[in-house]
Amino acid sequence: MPPSFLEQSRRSALEVYEREPLPTWRRSGFWTTTVRNLRLDELEPRHHDPVASVEELPEVAREALADDELAGLVVQRGASTVHTTLDPALAEQGVVFCSLERAIEEHPELVARWYMKRLSADEGKFSAAAAAFWTGGAFLHVPAEVRVERPFQVVYVIDEPGTAQYAHTLAVVGQFAECSLREYCLAPDLEGQALHAGAFELYCQTGAQVKLAHVQDWGSGEVYDISTKRVEIGRDAHCSWVPIHLGGHLTKQQLDIVTAEQGSDMRHTGLYFTEGQEHLDLFTTDLHEQGDTTGDTVWKGALTGDSRASYEGLIHIVEGAQNTHTYLQTHSMLLSPKAKADAIPSLIVQTDNVSASHGGTVGEVDEELVFYMMTRGISRPDAVRVLVEGYFEPVVQRLDDPSLEALVRARIAAKLSAAEQQVAAYAAER
Amino acid sequence: MSLEIQNLHVSTDDREILHGVDLSVAKGETHALMGPNGSGKSTLANTIMGNPAYQITEGRILLNGEDVTEAEPDERARAGLFLAFQYPATIPGVSVANFLRTAVNAGRDEPIKVKDFGALLRENMELLKMDPAFNKRYLNEGFSGGEKKRAEILQLAMLRPQIAVLDETDSGLDIDALRVVSDGVNALRGPDLGTLIITHYTRILRYVRPDFVHIMLDGRVVREGGAELADQLEEQGYDFIREEVSAADAS
Repeated sequence: MPPSFLEQSRRSALEVYEREPLPTWRRSGFWTTTVRNLRLDELEPRHHDPVASVEELPEVAREALADDELAGLVVQRGASTVHTTLDPALAEQGVVFCSLERAIEEHPELVARWYMKRLSADEGKFSAAAAAFWTGGAFLHVPAEVRVERPFQVVYVIDEPGTAQYAHTLAVVGQFAECSLREYCLAPDLEGQALHAGAFELYCQTGAQVKLAHVQDWGSGEVYDISTKRVEIGRDAHCSWVPIHLGGHLTKQQLDIVTAEQGSDMRHTGLYFTEGQEHLDLFTTDLHEQGDTTGDTVWKGALTGDSRASYEGLIHIVEGAQNTHTYLQTHSMLLSPKAKADAIPSLIVQTDNVSASHGGTVGEVDEELVFYMMTRGISRPDAVRVLVEGYFEPVVQRLDDPSLEALVRARIAAKLSAAEQQVAAYAAER
Repeated sequence: MSLEIQNLHVSTDDREILHGVDLSVAKGETHALMGPNGSGKSTLANTIMGNPAYQITEGRILLNGEDVTEAEPDERARAGLFLAFQYPATIPGVSVANFLRTAVNAGRDEPIKVKDFGALLRENMELLKMDPAFNKRYLNEGFSGGEKKRAEILQLAMLRPQIAVLDETDSGLDIDALRVVSDGVNALRGPDLGTLIITHYTRILRYVRPDFVHIMLDGRVVREGGAELADQLEEQGYDFIREEVSAADAS
């Protein structure tokens, strides 16, 4: 019997889901994200049996997890949590890391206190779907003053076409606790459609220090990802969040960071690489609810093929949040004549005595730099590859996690080498 | 090994800058190409290296007797040409070490071993009195003028070309940096390297004595001689050459 808070939440989410039509996101006339090609009726949750070891996980998850020393691991395949581990020493210190389903059974009051504190089922059809239908899920609680060096790892895998995956991760980091959390969303190159509708929420309590990374690589199949991720940072707490988007047929995400109390500080560093027919639509908000907060947002993307990417980043400083210092920059690099990028920084400031700045650029590979590198004997395709890798490098380094950095570098290199001829030809013809 | 420039006419933005330049540099020789600002020195340097911003309308460039007039810049580099830029590009996110390894490997069939590369890099950085921390910085990002020039000479030392063109490598250097760079160039001089030092001033030539001096004026080489020509230029400035040339034209 599920606790009443969950039942209530699911019931009201279901009402929203049934009421809301399939959404179309339009902006300023020329950019539209539509899910009209998604055959939602043909998708369904797929259940799988648990496995005893990482070796028995689908290959796409195994590869990404190679040789990592983790504090704990929660893997969801389709609709089912199939594998969980947690360092027993951490469990002894009161750390909870398991599926959200199990956390609700074993720690109902703890979960109820935080569950959907910053999320609402009434944010659209897919948010409602995630809230109404999620299964499995992940829950992390690091108690006050516990410091964990190795990362906690959540993995959502879709490995069958026809899958609808409704996901929910809830993480709470207690006062003056320190940890890092990674969430991977992975699929092989599926033949057919799939959906990931996800919700992610992280709460950093007073003085907490959290490193958070999201890595999305849904492969070249027709995977739709419509998700909301929200991070709340408490008093004098710090969170460095690095979302990495490496693949997905259609992605529509809302990524929000809230500096909710005095002294809270965030660093938000994003990266995307789109290819083929991919469509990426990101909206991020840096919401400053209190004064004396700081923010630093940098997003960088590169596009190949016929892909399209839109990044809209909003800084919102509410009334009374004085002495806030924040800035946001976004850059997109076009590597193909058919790719289209939008970079839209914006600003709402409802108070005085703040510093907030923003900037956005869309550019191409600089021919002068290519020439310089070629004079050192480096071929044009290699020059372009090194330049694009260099463009992303400061972002990759912000992961501050060597094995994850290596994974991201390798995947970017693979994508560049797949697009090598096309990219070099484009640079040469300009 | 030699670089031969024959009757080179070069235009940029539909304006002819070089009006028929002839110049040869053989391995083991050190040449100085001198001239006032705007005389076409940098145009020549860029054209030798194949910068697409400059169009060759007449003449040709031979490397070891082979016509490279149409060759891509990377082909010229792999054939043994090198240009130290007056204003080197900044390569964001690419460390000095990473850049150099990519460049060294571009000229090899098998990639250089990590250990060998490290030793080679250390040795050459010592030669140029560079702080080892330098190789972790992004190439030329936030470098001072002197650091950029040193990074160019470091590339020269690492890549070991047969013919090197140094375009205004002395400009923007204080006397200490000039000495370090000159010492570096002198250390690399020898029977295996031909050098063309392009400069506006004579001061680098006090440290790196040229075997031959060519003076360029308005897109032409107008005087040629030995090191003494540079000394004469230092005493009398470009005006005496200009006067001699216009007197010769008048007669």
